[in-house]
Amino acid sequence: MSTSFPSLFPGMLLDAASRYAEDHIVVAIQGDPVRELGWTATLVPEEAGGVGGSLSDLASIVEGLATHGLQLPVVETCAVVPLLLQAAGAETAHRWLEAVAEGSVQMAPLTALSATPDVNAVTARHLDIGYELSGTVQGVDATLPATHYLVPAQVDGEDAIFLVDAERIGAPKARYRTMEGRVGADFVLAQLAVPESACIARGAAARDARAKATDAALLLTAADTVAALATLIRQTVTHLKERRQFGVALSSFQVLRHRVADMYVKYLGAKGLVIHCFNDYEQDAPDLRRTLRLAKVSLAESARACAEAAIQMHGGMGVSEEVLATRTAQRLIASEFRYGDRLLHVAYLLALAPQASAPHVSFSNQTGSVR
Amino acid sequence: MSIDYAGFRRELESFVRGACPPEIRAVVAAGQKITKREYQAWQQILNAQGWGAPSWPREAGGTGWDIRQRLIFEEVMAENDCPPLYHHGLGHIGPVIIRFGTPEQKARFLPRILDGSDWWCQGYSEPGSGSDLASLSTSARLDGDAWVVNGQKIWTSHAHEASMIYMLVRTSKEAKKQEGISLLLVPMDTPGITVRPIQTIDGWHHLNEVFFDEVRVRADNLVGEVGKGWTCAKFLLERERLPPANVARLELMRRQVTQLVEEASRAAAGLRDFSGLHHKLLLCEADVKGARVMMAQATDDLIHQRPLGVQPSVIKMTCADVAQRLTTIALDAVGPDAAHRFLAEAGDDVPDATWIQNYMFTRARTIAGGTSEVQRNVVANELLGA
Ligand SMILES: Cc1cc2nc3c(=O)[nH]c(=O)nc-3n(C[C@H](O)[C@H](O)[C@H](O)COP(=O)(O)OP(=O)(O)OC[C@H]3O[C@@H](n4cnc5c(N)ncnc54)[C@H](O)[C@@H]3O)c2cc1C
Repeated sequence: MSTSFPSLFPGMLLDAASRYAEDHIVVAIQGDPVRELGWTATLVPEEAGGVGGSLSDLASIVEGLATHGLQLPVVETCAVVPLLLQAAGAETAHRWLEAVAEGSVQMAPLTALSATPDVNAVTARHLDIGYELSGTVQGVDATLPATHYLVPAQVDGEDAIFLVDAERIGAPKARYRTMEGRVGADFVLAQLAVPESACIARGAAARDARAKATDAALLLTAADTVAALATLIRQTVTHLKERRQFGVALSSFQVLRHRVADMYVKYLGAKGLVIHCFNDYEQDAPDLRRTLRLAKVSLAESARACAEAAIQMHGGMGVSEEVLATRTAQRLIASEFRYGDRLLHVAYLLALAPQASAPHVSFSNQTGSVR
Repeated sequence: MSIDYAGFRRELESFVRGACPPEIRAVVAAGQKITKREYQAWQQILNAQGWGAPSWPREAGGTGWDIRQRLIFEEVMAENDCPPLYHHGLGHIGPVIIRFGTPEQKARFLPRILDGSDWWCQGYSEPGSGSDLASLSTSARLDGDAWVVNGQKIWTSHAHEASMIYMLVRTSKEAKKQEGISLLLVPMDTPGITVRPIQTIDGWHHLNEVFFDEVRVRADNLVGEVGKGWTCAKFLLERERLPPANVARLELMRRQVTQLVEEASRAAAGLRDFSGLHHKLLLCEADVKGARVMMAQATDDLIHQRPLGVQPSVIKMTCADVAQRLTTIALDAVGPDAAHRFLAEAGDDVPDATWIQNYMFTRARTIAGGTSEVQRNVVANELLGA
């Protein structure tokens, strides 16, 4: 069956993440595996002590974790954080990127999991001695401990990014379990005073970095979705082959065979779309964002349909969280709502004039993987 | 004498508006999970009024209402945000005891269902026996004046809150798999019973595994003939599939979801595109109207004792489908704010996540009580032959 699900982002990073996830899926997350395994260095440039890797490298890690159903905020800590940091002046950026890469600081974005990093939930006011931050940020990923937060904000009508000590931000107002089993938290900033130096970027630099972080988050979430779809279908196939009712394996019922075939067709379509997105990203395609929004809407549709089908085909087991397929279905449904839901992206797509874009299909290799 | 249905409706309306406590109505209105507390309190109020069992015959302590009155009752209850009647006692095992039970069993069990003192759960499914229920293997052997039960049940809703379980057990291995099955009534506090919760995708606790280890049950707790439990089970399943409450509850849910979408749409101030959701809501509205007529026709057939045929399967599938579509619309409406704030730590109140929980919970509507695939097999067999 593995030939039906070749990896999207094969390589050592995928193998390592996959192995880690397999070993840790049933135990509660201890410590800070994302930093301990050095994944925060992936996107950090070599001159700042990082690996200087690409988004595809990070996608390998995302794929490996999703394959075994482990939830870790890799997108937030390893993509959004370094991409936002790069908006700062060279010296500041270098210093903090280095700290991020070596894991001596634990930096997290203070952004809602449901919103893209280019959305302003926080407003800043410039005072004589620094800034004052106000706003409510709901549903922030709080799975791992943080020593510092990067806070996207609006100041005098301009985009900005602030770097603030976690201590100063204070405790969250409420904590949750997210749908897919992460820890979420709501933060309320009420005229929070921060020093002048906390503002690490303003204007075009901040806007560009936030846009880049948004693209990366959308891409990696799409990769997560496709990896989770593969897992979901694999688990469902195994279940249908093993579970017997009426003296036969469930896999002998034609209605279920067709249903799982429909899932597979959707999966291959989703996979093709994600490869297209990564190609567009690597080639810096002018309508990248439009394609990413389109992917977001389309993947949400496919992912939900597959999640619901898998739950149904598992019968009672489909509603039990002890079952990996069920947790994967939850993850897929929750991922729809990460970085903007389909209603939001449709609104953008319909409001924008449709841009004619030349279709291009350029698979990097025969296996259909991105590399 | 013909019944004044309009007058009957007015009488019900004035009663439920006065009698159903606001805190219970608030839970129902918000679409939150209704627990034993609400069910039981409302059951006691209805019972004191003489309306504890609208669908039972008068001699068993019921109202003796005809089925149209029963439907009006369900509609008035739903329209006024009252909890539905708790199905396992009143809708499932009660009618079975009335139909198949001994006079002693009727006297012992029925009053306790009516006044809400017994809370029942259903022990049918087993790890190896789901859609193919007849393959069940939990056994009961007669030892003196007791049945001794060994085995395991699974997906037992409310077992952790129940005082009684009605269960199918294998009392003989010799016969065809549908034979040799018996229906047994077992107090949940009998030694040897262990209940283990199952964590479900909706974040609520309602499902359990129930283990039976040398559990001794009074011999006269067996309903009907030994080895003929399948007849009772089928009688019960037909009733399970045709819960008259469904369509009225569905209309209540449709109104709740419509309101939710309108509120979310206003709050989004044009930033999110709700047109698709409004479109889907209109289709649900049409389907509820269609389902209501199907229900009325089935009701008419029941009144005139005509065979129901595939109607229970069709109505169950339709209602499950509409319920899933409605909660899916709700999921889309509240998702971005609620998905990442699913279950709050103790003390934090997050009303919106209730709709995500409802979406998750409703996935089971096409599984529990016979999956939609199995219902389709029933319909297809009718049309095409087995
Ligand atoms: C929320 C919930 C509450 C429940 N409450 C109770 C309860 O209180 N008491 C109790 O006894 N049980 C309860 N159940 C169990 C329920 O009755 C079973 O889940 C149901 O009968 C299906 O059995 P299964 O889970 O073993 O699925 P399976 O029978 O294993 O089915 C798995 C999949 O295969 C499909 N399938 C099976 N046979 C066929 C076929 N012949 N043709 C085509 N497709 C087929 C099914 O449709 C399903 O999609 C509950 C279940 C849920 C989800």
